Amino acid sequence: MTKSDEEVLRVEDLHKRYGDHAVLRGVSLTLTRGEAKVVMGSSGTGKSTLLRCINHLSPPDAGRVLLEGQPLTPATLNAMRRHIAFVFQDFNLFTHLKVIDNVRLGQRRILKRSKAAATERAMQELERVGLADRAHYYPAQLSGGQQQRASIARALAMDPKVILFDEPTSALDPELTGEVVTVMKQLASEGMTMLVVSHEVGFARTAADEIVFMDGGTIVEQGPPSTLFANPAHERTRAFLKVITHQESA
Amino acid sequence: MIWQTLYDNLPFLMHGTWVALQLLAALLALGLVLGLTLALGQVYGPWPARLGGWAFERVFRGVPAVVLLLLFYYGVTDFVALSSFLAAVLALGLRSAAYQSQIFRGAIQSVPAGQMQAARAIGMGRWQAIRTIVLPQAARHAIGPWTNEFSSELKATSLAYVIGVVELTRQAKYIVSNTQGNILIVFGVVALIYFIVNRLGNAVLYRVEARLAVPGFERRSP
Ligand SMILES: Nc1ncnc2c1ncn2[C@@H]1O[C@H](COP(=O)(O)OP(=O)(O)O)[C@@H](O)[C@H]1O
Ligand SMILES: [Mg+2]
Repeated sequence: MTKSDEEVLRVEDLHKRYGDHAVLRGVSLTLTRGEAKVVMGSSGTGKSTLLRCINHLSPPDAGRVLLEGQPLTPATLNAMRRHIAFVFQDFNLFTHLKVIDNVRLGQRRILKRSKAAATERAMQELERVGLADRAHYYPAQLSGGQQQRASIARALAMDPKVILFDEPTSALDPELTGEVVTVMKQLASEGMTMLVVSHEVGFARTAADEIVFMDGGTIVEQGPPSTLFANPAHERTRAFLKVITHQESA
Repeated sequence: MIWQTLYDNLPFLMHGTWVALQLLAALLALGLVLGLTLALGQVYGPWPARLGGWAFERVFRGVPAVVLLLLFYYGVTDFVALSSFLAAVLALGLRSAAYQSQIFRGAIQSVPAGQMQAARAIGMGRWQAIRTIVLPQAARHAIGPWTNEFSSELKATSLAYVIGVVELTRQAKYIVSNTQGNILIVFGVVALIYFIVNRLGNAVLYRVEARLAVPGFERRSP
């Protein structure tokens, strides 16, 4: 919402296939600083694959990813991933570590912050997502919504330049999605650069600068939420939006 | 009379127990280091490591322990001089490595793939992620089966007597020969010693297991 025109992430013509199934067939997009972009599209269309190819958790077959102009390469990968946080659909908190240690680990091991600095920062981020009082719980002792908020705190503590969210609310019971969406809206309004795969219409309408609609491994349409929701140009987009906006009001 | 004999021979029994414990510690240590290496190679390594690990496991789990002992003692000593103790450490240690690699492989594989992905996503290298995320969780899955392996190997140390390692069972055999008989009582005492060592070892391992058991990794009931 506080978008500038300084480019943070540039994705150029990504291709990815699994066996003889071409999952990504040339996807390009850019994110400017402070921009929140929401990716929508039906299941199996390659949205998760796109996010995983962006930080090379699955290396793309072709195409480039640039962070602030620097291309991700095998040699620079570990150093650059710390700037690209990833929030997973099923949270993936480190199960054997307390919440606070989940938020401290990357700061200590990757950013080499002192224990005191990492602890202070971890508590700030847990405060921000409303989990300061759960710092010394283990992930298994938290609800799904709390686990996802903790994983967002873990991401934030790394000072990422961009955060990738892969359907952060779709593993949650409906009554728990609100608390996660609230945190994400707050991040968007504070100017965090984020690429969010999500079908949360409420989030998309109010927090997204742009909606990207994917189908069959390509981007079929993109534009500001007001335009895209009001008069989608493509039949696929229209049909898809009808389904999710219907679910929303149901 | 027999009690007097036992009392007189107590130092020998204690010494035999000590030798058995040394053998146990050495073979478990060899099995741990090699078994973990094999397991990591099998899960994360290239195909030669997977194939090698698989073949090693098959061979050492498929041959009786006594045959391995005889092979290492009489077979290998033709080429390199090995004390009977060292031959026993190698034979039983390599066999234990096969069993332990199976335990560790299963434990590593039961750590969900998302844990590795989350570690890589914050910028950890593969080896760093294995060390800091995967292995601490795998240890919690492995400790239960490893306790069983400890018990099996304690009992297996008694087999080393066939190649002349003077451990507890062989000491008992000497006492029986020197005192003409008393088999039942002497071996009864020896059985009791194995039983006690096993219980003590298990008690220690259960405590380790309890310390590792954080929410999400509840311990199985002992
Ligand atoms: N690791 C993989 N191996 C094989 N096929 C995969 C793999 N990951 C994803 N796919 C396939 O790629 C397609 C797109 O998957 P995904 O990116 O998860 O879609 P979405 O997130 O949009 O639902 C699916 O058909 C899926 O089965
Ligand atoms: Mg997906």
